[in-house]
Amino acid sequence: MQKTKILKASVIAAAVGTLLTMHANANAKEKVFVGHLADYSGPTAAVGKHYADGIKDTLSWLNSNGGIDGTELEFESIDYAYKVPQAISNYKKWTSRKNMVAMQGWGTADTEALISFAAKDKVAIFSASYSGHLTDPTGKNPKTKKPAPYNFFYGASYSDTCRALAQWAKNDWDQKGKSGKPGFIHIGDNHPYPNAPKKACAEYAEEIGFDVKPPVMVSMKPGDFKAQCLSVKTSGADYGYVANLGSSAVSLIKSCETVGTDIQFMSNIWGGDKLIFEAAGKGIDNYVFPAMTPFWTDNVPALENVREIARNSSRDVSFQPHHYIRGVCTTLYMAEAMKWAKVNGGITGENVKKGMYAKKNWVPEGMDDVCLPANWTSNDHRGINTVNIYQAKWNGGDINVDRISQIELPRRDDWLGY
Amino acid sequence: MITLSMRPCGDFRTTYKADTRIFETRFILLLTIMTVVALCFAPLFLDAYYLTLFIQVSYLGIAALGLNILVGFTGQISLGHGAFFGFGAFASAWISNSFAIPVWLSIPLAGVLTMAVGMMFGLPAARIKGLYLAIATLSAQFIIEDFFARADWFSGGSYGAAADPVSLFGMDFDSDQSFFYIALFALVFMYLWGTNLMRSRDGRAFVAVRDHYLSAEIMGINLTWYRLLSFGVSSFYAGIGGALYGHYLGFVSAEGFTLMMSVQFLAMIIIGGLGSVQGALLGTIFIVLLPEVLEATVSLIGSTGLMDAGTLVENLAYFKEMAVGLVIILFLIFEPDGLAHRWKQIKSYWKFYPFAY
Repeated sequence: MQKTKILKASVIAAAVGTLLTMHANANAKEKVFVGHLADYSGPTAAVGKHYADGIKDTLSWLNSNGGIDGTELEFESIDYAYKVPQAISNYKKWTSRKNMVAMQGWGTADTEALISFAAKDKVAIFSASYSGHLTDPTGKNPKTKKPAPYNFFYGASYSDTCRALAQWAKNDWDQKGKSGKPGFIHIGDNHPYPNAPKKACAEYAEEIGFDVKPPVMVSMKPGDFKAQCLSVKTSGADYGYVANLGSSAVSLIKSCETVGTDIQFMSNIWGGDKLIFEAAGKGIDNYVFPAMTPFWTDNVPALENVREIARNSSRDVSFQPHHYIRGVCTTLYMAEAMKWAKVNGGITGENVKKGMYAKKNWVPEGMDDVCLPANWTSNDHRGINTVNIYQAKWNGGDINVDRISQIELPRRDDWLGY
Repeated sequence: MITLSMRPCGDFRTTYKADTRIFETRFILLLTIMTVVALCFAPLFLDAYYLTLFIQVSYLGIAALGLNILVGFTGQISLGHGAFFGFGAFASAWISNSFAIPVWLSIPLAGVLTMAVGMMFGLPAARIKGLYLAIATLSAQFIIEDFFARADWFSGGSYGAAADPVSLFGMDFDSDQSFFYIALFALVFMYLWGTNLMRSRDGRAFVAVRDHYLSAEIMGINLTWYRLLSFGVSSFYAGIGGALYGHYLGFVSAEGFTLMMSVQFLAMIIIGGLGSVQGALLGTIFIVLLPEVLEATVSLIGSTGLMDAGTLVENLAYFKEMAVGLVIILFLIFEPDGLAHRWKQIKSYWKFYPFAY
């Protein structure tokens, strides 16, 4: 009895002691809080995991290299499993208790749920939800339902990416010297995410001379899509835009390989990475996909810095998908904006936002040719209007991925927020 | 199920009126009033995190009560409650944006609109029941979800819809502190209404339909009408809950009103107690707090430095998902009457202390 009492007391004392010392340490250094919502176990975990790893590793790497010019980045990664209520409650916890200045978010669901809160609380939110309507911070375009002044993302919007792919397809068609109007088709689920670029992209494709076919609906959940592949086949389309996430794209390619659909597939940003190609098999040959960063194995010197970030968190440096690199770039842009904010009035959400506008055509330090040069302005949040186009070659099982083109899109006013 | 006919020994009633009293004793009434008054001061002491949890409990709790009226009291089933919740959110945004109707009015209007839609999808209940009805209501989930994605005029399609904050007497209720009062008012109002409904003629008819529909019909209860009405009331509650959700966030996105949400509502009422107004609220509190408590535990373990917080977050994520499932199974086995029943037992334990039987 006496023994357990002593044991209990010492455990409590130890716990209190640890807490106290931690608290003391916490006060020793200047700190700024960044929240991080990640999807490790939800429906988008397949790609969310890599993107989140990229962010987490970069934040740790920044801290082990002096933080933001001496200010430590205090951060918390939460697996919210793509659930909106968890996203909201964590956001509230961070804003009310940790005085959060910036947040690294993830998908459409959490990003959109937090638009109003972020604008009100002045918290800069960086996410991987590339919906076009997040790019209009002032509501300049009458089509914008809700201006998103505090939302940023690194990369071209879903609409712009699709437009770039349409542009590439047109060039490809002309290069091959084919005559007539090429057919363009949207293949995706009836869901906000695949739908996001549907109209915008079809309009542009039509504008540059495509014959736009009625879209074919394919479920976001992987399954047998032979029937849909037959519809694609009979539609007479030459270029198909795959709007779904990776696992669904894999099923689509496999089904279409069986059916023998002769069409050039072009996927969105989440629809193409090495893991998908390996799973998809032979049908992957000639598959075209966009990327905002180089591939891990590309010959780009600055990629060594990305590997350094991965190594710092003892991550596997032999390969990481391009989603990981995009996470790195997103975080580094935020960090640079924070650096600017620090010397221009202190790191607050408002100043981080201003920091994003401070430079033109900028790339985070040491990331040349890894992150694309970006431009954010106070009334245009289309940071990137350049899209790298990659192509996968089956090559008898030893898949090759090569950059085949880089498309730069004009910054058209009617495309803002659309 | 909690029935009116079964009472613990020592709990006597001498009038019929006493049977249907909302607050059993003066003390409970006083306690309830005091709790509500105390809650009115909560925004002064609690930070936004607690307030947002309370707000979540209220809009989800209102919708859960709706489902409990349908499932727990009327004995029907619905797998489309999440879609109705979403419909309410979009409807309120649509009404206030398109017709310049103030938000405080568009919320009840959205409830009425959702009620109409709910009754339409409840029509199969006139003919079928049980598993067949479950599948029929499942169609509501899919049809409405697809509608959100397609109907640009109504929901904004993939762009979503903006929902203005509630504005009363020139004051915007757009912060957690102020919206808290809207949520509190709605919660108290809807729960009082629900409780009252259940002791009215219609409420008794619902219970009769549930307990023995043949006898109910013989007693002169129009089965079709009451089943439909139950669907209507249930959707009305879902609509109000959804509308509050929309105006709280300020933006409604077509994502999130999935089958998972409908299932979660069912989980709330099963955990809370089928056929209990109190249970709906207790179940909602449980489901809202469960992930928060698990997460707090994770970060507490992480902050002690005994384990690497990063790997812990990644690994405990799976545990967290499993925990919800596990809790539901455990509840079904050990507490089939839900939290409301447990609460009653705790109450009677203290009431009869030390002579518990």
